[in-house]
Amino acid sequence: MATASIVDNAPGSPIHATVNRPNMVQVGTIVWLASELMFFAGLFAMYFTIRAVLPDVWAENTELLNIPFSTANTINLVLSSVWCQMGVFAAERFQPAAKGPWWTPWTREHGLKNWGMREWYVLTYIAGALFVAGQVYEYAKLISEGLTLSSSGYGSVFYMTTGFHGLHVTGGLIAFLLIIARSYMARRFGHAEATSAIVTSYYWHFVDVVWIGLFLVIYVLK
Amino acid sequence: MKVETRLFVYLGLLYIPVGTVYGFMTKWNEPLGFLALYLTGGMSLMIGAYLAYTAKHIDARPEDDPLGEIHQGAGEYGVFAPYSWWPMPLGLAAACVFAGLAAGWWLFIIGVPLAAVALIGWVFEYYRGEFAH
Repeated sequence: MATASIVDNAPGSPIHATVNRPNMVQVGTIVWLASELMFFAGLFAMYFTIRAVLPDVWAENTELLNIPFSTANTINLVLSSVWCQMGVFAAERFQPAAKGPWWTPWTREHGLKNWGMREWYVLTYIAGALFVAGQVYEYAKLISEGLTLSSSGYGSVFYMTTGFHGLHVTGGLIAFLLIIARSYMARRFGHAEATSAIVTSYYWHFVDVVWIGLFLVIYVLK
Repeated sequence: MKVETRLFVYLGLLYIPVGTVYGFMTKWNEPLGFLALYLTGGMSLMIGAYLAYTAKHIDARPEDDPLGEIHQGAGEYGVFAPYSWWPMPLGLAAACVFAGLAAGWWLFIIGVPLAAVALIGWVFEYYRGEFAH
């Protein structure tokens, strides 16, 4: 693995002077996520514009939404962010895998530090996959009730906004798989592995926050 | 990192009142502008807050020192591939996938496995073979 070489004996600098710099991958991820925010801003703008033009279509179609189900799905997604953050804490202490038994996050010996990044990320993955499955179920239900992408302006914006969010969640799931696989492939779980785990968590938290916004707008505000 | 942080935070703090003024001037009847301005503020604040958070957790950089010298910036910058072919097949496969959305699903179906191979090849390039770590 090539790293920019460390110049220990540069004139005038103390020996072993490595400047503690901002992590380029992390800053770059945040800047990219900021641009993703504008992507979703476009979707929100589309939603509000069409809603302002077709208020009666909204009144008619929002009744189809299953609020208790989507609330449960939302709570699941928010909790997955908590699991993800627990995985980040494990990655930050460079612990790829469980110290003790894999089936419990807590043991008497290790406390809540039993699970490594891998176990927490697997749990996050399962929660995220359940969320997407819930979305698919919800879509199937709504389509059977006549709400489709082309049925009305409401159908279009509903599937566009939640669908693009669902694609983002799916992308995050693929990223989690790659990160989990890396924890198996790496001989030593080091900074590079921890960094990729942390930026994946940034993405996951971002997608989660976007969903909270979408949930409030689509299911609560209507 | 004060300059970078302030740049983004000030921009964020500018857009939010501008969005409010816009809302009042359109009597909140125009649903797009104020929302876009608020979220632009959110975008700037997001970067600004992250830079402020980062600045707290690292040493002052040579760039922040008016009397800093170039050589003080020496050291580890991160992990970089010396060279890699993988982005090219991934780019071609992604082009195939997105062209498939427009031209026909058969192209999409060809593109997806190619993209999977290229993505996995790229992600695990330094986890196997000569440079495995």
